[in-house]
Amino acid sequence: MSSAVSTEPLLHRSFREISRPRFRSSTLRPSPPPASLSCAPKSPSFRHARRRCASGSGPRRGGWGGAGAGALLRVRASSSGAAVVEALESADVLFQEAFPLQRTETAKGKIFVRLDQGKDGQNWQLTVGCTLAGKWILHWGISHVDDVGSEWDQPPAEMRPPGSIPIKDYAIETPLQKSSTSMDGDEVYEVNISIKSNSNIAAINFVLKDEESGSWYQHRGRDFKVPLMDSLQDDSNIVGSKRGFDLWPGALGQLSNILLKGEASDYKDKDASTDLEASKQEVRCLEGFYVEQPIVKVVSIRNSVNISVKICPKTAKTLVYLETDLPRDVIVHWGVCRDDSKKWEIPAAPYPPETEIFKNKALRTLLQPKEQGNGFWGSFALDEEFVGFLFVLKLKEEDVWLNCMGEDFYIPVSSTRSSSLIRQKESDSTETSGKTMETNTEVSSTAYTDDIINEIRNLVSDISSEKSRKTKTKEAQESILQEIEKLAAEAYSIFRSSLPTFSAEAVLEQEALEPPPHICSGTGTGFEILCQGFNWESNKSGRWYKELMEKASQLASLGFTVVWLPPPTDSVSPEGYMPRDLYNLNSRYGTIDELKDLVKKFHEVNIRVLGDVVLNHRCAQYQNQNGIWNIFGGRLNWDDRAVVADDPHFQVGRGNKSSGDNFHAAPNIDHSQDFVRKDLKEWLHWLRSEIGYDGWRLDFVRGFWGGYVKDYLDASEPYFAVGEYWDSLSYTYGEMDHNQDAHRQRIIDWINATNGTAGAFDVTTKGILHAALERCEYWRLSDQKGKPPGVVGWWPSRAVTFVENHDTGSTQGHWRFPSGKEMQGYAYILTHPGTPAVFYDHIFSHYQSEIGSLISIRNRNKIHCRSTIKITKAERDVYAAIIDDKVAMKIGPGYYEPQSGPQKWSPVLEGRDYKVWETS
Amino acid sequence: MEVSVIGSSQANILKTDLACRELGLLSFKNGSRVSWGKSQISFGRSCGLRNSGVRLTLKAVQTEAIRPQKISRPQSQHGVRLYVGLPLDAVSYCNAVNHAKAIAAGLKALKLLGVEGVELPIWWGVVEKEAMGKYDWSGYLALVEMVHKVGLKLHVSLCFHGSKHAKIPLPEWVIKIGEQNPSIFFTDRTGQQYKECLSLAVDEVPVLEGKTPVEVYNDFCESFKSSFSSFIGSTIDGISMGLGPDGELRYPSHQGLSRSSKVPGVGEFQCYDKSMLALLKEHGETTGNPLWGLGGPHDAPAYDASPSSNSFFKDDGGSWESPYGDFFLSWYSSLLVRHADRLLSLASSAFGDSEVAIYSKVPLVHQWYKTRSHPAELTAGFYNTQNRDGYEVIAEMFAQHSCKMILPGMDLSDEGQLQEGLSSPEQLLGQIWSACKKHGVEVSGENSSDAVAHGGFEQIRKHLSGEDAAHSFFYQRMGAYFFSPEHFPSFTQLVRNMKQPQMHTDDLLSEEEKAKEPVAATSESGIQMQTA
Repeated sequence: MSSAVSTEPLLHRSFREISRPRFRSSTLRPSPPPASLSCAPKSPSFRHARRRCASGSGPRRGGWGGAGAGALLRVRASSSGAAVVEALESADVLFQEAFPLQRTETAKGKIFVRLDQGKDGQNWQLTVGCTLAGKWILHWGISHVDDVGSEWDQPPAEMRPPGSIPIKDYAIETPLQKSSTSMDGDEVYEVNISIKSNSNIAAINFVLKDEESGSWYQHRGRDFKVPLMDSLQDDSNIVGSKRGFDLWPGALGQLSNILLKGEASDYKDKDASTDLEASKQEVRCLEGFYVEQPIVKVVSIRNSVNISVKICPKTAKTLVYLETDLPRDVIVHWGVCRDDSKKWEIPAAPYPPETEIFKNKALRTLLQPKEQGNGFWGSFALDEEFVGFLFVLKLKEEDVWLNCMGEDFYIPVSSTRSSSLIRQKESDSTETSGKTMETNTEVSSTAYTDDIINEIRNLVSDISSEKSRKTKTKEAQESILQEIEKLAAEAYSIFRSSLPTFSAEAVLEQEALEPPPHICSGTGTGFEILCQGFNWESNKSGRWYKELMEKASQLASLGFTVVWLPPPTDSVSPEGYMPRDLYNLNSRYGTIDELKDLVKKFHEVNIRVLGDVVLNHRCAQYQNQNGIWNIFGGRLNWDDRAVVADDPHFQVGRGNKSSGDNFHAAPNIDHSQDFVRKDLKEWLHWLRSEIGYDGWRLDFVRGFWGGYVKDYLDASEPYFAVGEYWDSLSYTYGEMDHNQDAHRQRIIDWINATNGTAGAFDVTTKGILHAALERCEYWRLSDQKGKPPGVVGWWPSRAVTFVENHDTGSTQGHWRFPSGKEMQGYAYILTHPGTPAVFYDHIFSHYQSEIGSLISIRNRNKIHCRSTIKITKAERDVYAAIIDDKVAMKIGPGYYEPQSGPQKWSPVLEGRDYKVWETS
Repeated sequence: MEVSVIGSSQANILKTDLACRELGLLSFKNGSRVSWGKSQISFGRSCGLRNSGVRLTLKAVQTEAIRPQKISRPQSQHGVRLYVGLPLDAVSYCNAVNHAKAIAAGLKALKLLGVEGVELPIWWGVVEKEAMGKYDWSGYLALVEMVHKVGLKLHVSLCFHGSKHAKIPLPEWVIKIGEQNPSIFFTDRTGQQYKECLSLAVDEVPVLEGKTPVEVYNDFCESFKSSFSSFIGSTIDGISMGLGPDGELRYPSHQGLSRSSKVPGVGEFQCYDKSMLALLKEHGETTGNPLWGLGGPHDAPAYDASPSSNSFFKDDGGSWESPYGDFFLSWYSSLLVRHADRLLSLASSAFGDSEVAIYSKVPLVHQWYKTRSHPAELTAGFYNTQNRDGYEVIAEMFAQHSCKMILPGMDLSDEGQLQEGLSSPEQLLGQIWSACKKHGVEVSGENSSDAVAHGGFEQIRKHLSGEDAAHSFFYQRMGAYFFSPEHFPSFTQLVRNMKQPQMHTDDLLSEEEKAKEPVAATSESGIQMQTA
């Protein structure tokens, strides 16, 4: 009876996707601020997320992820802080510089939806508005009365407000206009849609999009849907029912690059679906309503910090004066260093007021508000023996760290000291130390910085004499022993959990034990679906970026969330895998500007972009005096020191021996050289900021040690990263071994070496699929423990499963997937845990609709990289599995039907030798 | 003469470091014995700190004075240098660092404890896995870097053997060769092969793609040396040369031993591969007993058997005491000595010019030591009986190559052994130790197994104190048990006792008072040489 009934089946049936980007629903819940810094929240927004966790590239001495949170040790602020400030005026300035601070802030506001009856009593008006500033776009469509399926249709022309743009044939985008009215003092942006009461529109569906950030806003993770029920009803029912307008969730979709506080208390319809149930009972008529829901938007904000360094003539100390225009309470997390190594240490007291010792590795000082009220300041007096002042800033109430381009701020403080000052200092210093002796002892007796380590032996056996001294020593010793115990406990827990061969349980435990210390783990949300956006021929046209741009929305509507673009640099080979000048991004795929446009376009449709970066080797531009090509050109004009010394073809390399396998076509880069790593990190950083790449596909990572990869990923903080670790599987007498544990172990070893910061292509799974499908040996798809036999069976969250890529397939065909059986491969990887990657050639082939259907099954059942899998059959001619108890699948010609138990299975997709069921 | 360096600032220490190198070279040429015993570092501020009673903590010491290794260190008051073994699979078979996080935490803990360094097994089967001459040191380099960063010393054990326990076999290509040519492996009477290391009989036979195993070992050492040149002599301060099964100088005489039997049997002679038999035949012919050279002893018991179960090892009138027994045993044991001689001379020529000490391990085959024939030692290749000292010749050979000897089993006590086994680890240890002393071979200790039982710590402590203390100790081995609550505290206690016995007896306070003066006097100076 009720109109809502007819829309209900939409929840499951449709395979066609609507251009609705879906992202990361897992970050929807607003989480309370983490208790310790070791687990700063993942930043939910991409490109503009400039929150940085200070770990890794941050203050290295902070002790993140240590074996236990050290208590903050309060230190009495010494009175000399005030004197220091006075003295500041008279000193000479040694250093002055303003650093930009880039950060993000979350602005809170609300979205409201209002339905009013028009003045004439005939037509209705739907108003959608937002109280946050932004370039808001309403992306909307309608459902007709007799529609089946969840597809949208374009509204009739008369409904479209001015400025509307049609998107494909199913949606409209209408910009919101700044309204003359305001709401609680906030500006309001809104759009009005008139609805004729006699039209046969069942519902209006929409999502709100912020063009500035590319974010999409939904209603509790789904499309907004405003049912217009009266239009469905019989004449007899037009008048009568009086209520029943609800906002209720749309059918599919899990978009979420958003912080929708859907659970917030002021939302009226606590449970939309209940209301929906209720609405089925009665016959109702259209009634005006007004609902609102809070939204949060991430805004990028620029501030700055000014540093000046002076010498106080009175105390001969170096005074570092710091001021910033950050709006809220700021904590300076700081330390000093003695040389260029920038090794953090804690200076001796006195400290400025409001200073705490943080885990004995750094000091934390709360800055003072400026009198004018437009910022904060602090000053730090340092002894002259220190050469540098290191710090990062933290907003007190939030877990937001601000650093200098991914590095700690480093302020040189010791450049030009005159000897007279030093002499002056000597006379003063005894006095000072006398005064501060107590504090000093207090600090040192419990301190255990790394630096102490070197002195322990002396402490333990050399010093001792006076009895008082001995007690102190013992105290210090106790604290050291405590630290040792913590470390031992940490080592114990890891050793205990890691068995000689790798097992999934071990990883889970390990992961649980150690919360990832980084904001950016490079492994995304777990819901990623990758699209390899090119093949071996893509360079031929010379305008690939433009061609792909046209396909961006289509890829989004198919459900992809990440696209992998071809290597962008100047290259000796047209495909880009022989990079030469890393900073020249004009390639056979297009120009740097076209690339930027393409990335922007993908971001608009909420697809993140992986850059294909070749770090293993680099082609030289010039020959050296011996005629060997090993002198590089371009902005990174390295010489033979950057080439590994054992590279047999470019053997004049003066670098260290390679840490991995050699790639024989080009000089292998020596990643053990600091300058090489520094340059590459800068380059990756540049790619991130200049092009807007969200992550990396790392070429030929077999060539160098995974630990370096970790280094690069820590520095470039990708949203997602995947490495190509490709080596051959084990065969015995030409037959592939059933047990490919050694093969996947090598891949796991590499992932381990990167500290889990990157995933890896699951070459093992591809190889086993080959054998299983080609020879009809589906039993191979279960390992001895009944788990998937590839990397995905051991470490699903780091496995990027794939069927084909530009090397294995395309026109190269080095290791082509069994022909005609590709869909079985996709039925496997797109229903299984791991992060699936779909090859371009298959997307744009007759497989497209089937692949699209599989993706939508994956999305609507929220299958992710860590989903649970139960293999229910692995026999000669059929393999079947149930994933998350929600999806059942089989591949192979053999018979299989999932057992209906508590849940009922209904088939949703069937193709050649594969079939997929969902619970109903 | 002992020289200690006292620096006054960071910069000075760095310079001192360089100075040390030069000085170390110079003094070496002069033949004087110089040692950089310890570096004490204090800074300008130290006066204030000294008043406050704690003189360290907030200052960094980034470098330690280097310690030229060729020069033997007098036993300092710090006593024994303690190394903790890293897990056998610290670098996995696939050349990646295993449990890196755990090791990192463990290294830090050890450094804080004041342990001198760690021991790292480097496996032939990992580094030269795929093909001869194709070395991949990456995993080990990464690990050495980790150790270097923490500031620990590193003792490297070159393992030319495989380990079933750690699941690390010999190099793939060697195994393949072994399939074609089984006689490169030790073989017992029943034809059972021991595939965890090459037979010493082929040491100088070109069985490996035209090269002899000794040449291959040599290339390996050279590659190691060039790959780790920046660490050798600084971080890496010692290298153990693997000499056989489990790195020990012996025959794999217990390869067929079943684990179930409580009392280990006598083991079997491993002289039945083709090359060994050929050598035996030749030996029989040259000594005029061609018939004796046709095979091993026919009356030796089986692996698990007791000495008296057959006639060879019988206490009374056993064949071992017969002329035939002497013929066979002296041949069998001399091959082992010659094998060690070859490898140690290889090691000393490869590493002799670098500042590292060379070590090798001699096993403690203590089973049946209380019998007259010492059958377990005989099958393992040590011709050591009631009538004959079999270790003198080995100690002498170690001395020739200035090689230090690692003796495992320092945690074992006679009481801990089963009565029926007639074993005596303590007596055997004493015997080998005195042979070493006689020939001036320095002894390093090691515990026998991965798990030191409670009495074991007391035993270790005994061996590490007193006049004849071992000069270093290799504690085996880091892992889950090592850091477990039931073990780690005892280990900590051991280390603390070794490092600072004075902390536990108040009687020693007066000595400390005396010691105080020189410390105070030198802490302000720049660089001082102090003759002690």
